[in-house]
Amino acid sequence: MNNPFAGDNTRIQRRETAARWALRMGSYTVVFLTVSIFLFITFKGLPHATKPGFLTELTSTLHVIESKSGEIIQTGPAQADAMKQKLGDQFVSEKTISYSGGGILGPIVGTALLVLVSVSVALFLGVCCAIYLSEYAKKGKFLETVRLAILNLAGVPSVVFGLFGLGAFVLTAPVLTNAPADRAIFVIPLGFTNLSFQGWDTCVLSGGFTLAFVILPVIITASEQCLQAVPQGFRETSMALGATRWQTIWRSVLPFATPGILTSTILGIARAAGETAPIMFTAALAFKDKLPWQKDLPPLPADAGMFAHWEQSVQRFLGIFTESVQALPYHIYTLAAKIPQNEYSEQAQYGSVFVFLILVASLAATSIWLRIHLRKKYKW
Amino acid sequence: MPETASSAAQHAPVVQVRDMDFCYGSKAALHSIHLDVEYHRVTALIGPSGCGKSTLLRCINRMNDRVAGARVSKGEILVKGKNIHDADVDLTQLRRQVGMVFQKSNPFPKTIYENVAYGLRVHGVKDKTTLDEAVERSLTQAALWDELKDRLQAHALGLSGGQQQRLCIARAIATMPDVLLMDEPCSALDPIATLKIEELIAQLARNYSVVIVTHNMQQAVRVSDFTAFLHLGKLVEFAPTEELFTNPREKLTDSYLRGTFS
Ligand SMILES: Nc1ncnc2c1ncn2[C@@H]1O[C@H](COP(=O)(O)OP(=O)(O)OP(=O)(O)O)[C@@H](O)[C@H]1O
Ligand SMILES: [Mg+2]
Repeated sequence: MNNPFAGDNTRIQRRETAARWALRMGSYTVVFLTVSIFLFITFKGLPHATKPGFLTELTSTLHVIESKSGEIIQTGPAQADAMKQKLGDQFVSEKTISYSGGGILGPIVGTALLVLVSVSVALFLGVCCAIYLSEYAKKGKFLETVRLAILNLAGVPSVVFGLFGLGAFVLTAPVLTNAPADRAIFVIPLGFTNLSFQGWDTCVLSGGFTLAFVILPVIITASEQCLQAVPQGFRETSMALGATRWQTIWRSVLPFATPGILTSTILGIARAAGETAPIMFTAALAFKDKLPWQKDLPPLPADAGMFAHWEQSVQRFLGIFTESVQALPYHIYTLAAKIPQNEYSEQAQYGSVFVFLILVASLAATSIWLRIHLRKKYKW
Repeated sequence: MPETASSAAQHAPVVQVRDMDFCYGSKAALHSIHLDVEYHRVTALIGPSGCGKSTLLRCINRMNDRVAGARVSKGEILVKGKNIHDADVDLTQLRRQVGMVFQKSNPFPKTIYENVAYGLRVHGVKDKTTLDEAVERSLTQAALWDELKDRLQAHALGLSGGQQQRLCIARAIATMPDVLLMDEPCSALDPIATLKIEELIAQLARNYSVVIVTHNMQQAVRVSDFTAFLHLGKLVEFAPTEELFTNPREKLTDSYLRGTFS
């Protein structure tokens, strides 16, 4: 029987097939590369990342001691001498590898703090800005210029943000102090104290603010889109019921934009957590042997009251943000580029990369979960 | 409605549009509109698409303020005797007293209760009993109370189209406005739901002055006391509904009603 629907293998059909295959191959290549990278890092990093203490210890120098029997002992700086003594004349050689011993608790904590500060700052500024642009600003040339500027900001290399942060936050940002430093650019006396433009030094606060500016364009753009996606009808109805503009935004726009804003925020977190250049000059240290809250404060006198204890706790808490920290991406950079490479530094490096990858992946998963969950609650 | 007939006679028109011109930027949309909305009566606005019915309606609660460049370029609108463009008019108070129901039923994605209470909440009412009473009264007036009294905390989007539109009416009357503006409130509904809303409008006229835009002549005949026919931004004819439909004074009206309209 003859087939009335037989293809005639014309040029059009061949082109269709070619296009389909080109698109398919493109997607498969991307998937293949991503999966290979992930598997490679897991394969290289998982064994080291699951070593006891890797997630719970501070970074230290790794001492690798070889004995006559060919045994190789890896240990930290504290036990190295004792180990050598124990080996006695069995001792053959000792290698020290910086930053490759212990764990990565310091970098994890540092990154968490940096992310906390940057996301709080970026979310506040970003959402304010997005609300203004979307709900209040008059449509026109000026608004378009502002939007363009924000988009351009997203294209600025991150090292430029780092230098901006160095200039703005590390060296010039204002602090309240009774004794302004000599390096202060200028000082405004306030009577009871001084507002001194002497910068915040390299610390979590400087780094967090710098990172906030890195992710700000993403957050503003995404938040504005989420606000715009809320049906205009909600605004009209709300206003027609006599609500002011702010009441309308607060009750009938923002709640429905929140799922989207949070999703973009979480992607912003992933970005902030991964940036190296912006924190290089503003917050990160290659090495630190204490967590930010482990600070020596003068011991309180035995008869110190509740208030003194309370005050010291607050001081300790605030102190966290004025400390410089280690951070995961910078730690990886240090291990990869600032010390001589060998098998031990490589292990530490892949271990850290693996942990970082897991953190980012779980953030992405959280964002997806959050979106699904909130969409259900605030669907329209 | 004998009792309202006598009380209506004592009241001046609740909305008075005085020789008003309106334009969107450089584009004129309404020309010299002169129209009175009688107290506790239903006034219908009819006319071909694009003639400016919605524009006129949205002038009365100043919703057009939201459109960039839109303005009243001549004349004035008085609501309850007050020029609504006076500097001392608070928009939120105006809109509280001039409610609006839109063409597309658009409840907020909140509970039924919160939808109805919205207008009161934005005007600062926090007291639970006041809110409860207002919700019950509004839903009753919107002929929804019996259907929904056990589901007040249910999501409003779970209601049928007709229920949603009646909920929007309940929401609009919760603040006890004097005037209720309705822009084609039935155009997205099936005939049964439409019938229900029409019955509702007749009842609402006991407590509110209603202005309704409609494309449906029969509907205008059924629900309204007065009808205004607009064409190309001009008010062609404004008369008691019966008179306008049976005995139109203007030729244009006549041909529009017959459907022999070019
Ligand atoms: N936001 C706006 N900006 C500019 N012009 C507008 C705007 N809204 C309406 N117009 C114009 O004003 C005129 C009247 O529009 P309007 O919406 O009032 O008509 P309508 O009678 O309600 O029509 P329909 O029956 O189709 O709803 C139309 O020519 C329309 O194009
Ligand atoms: Mg219309």
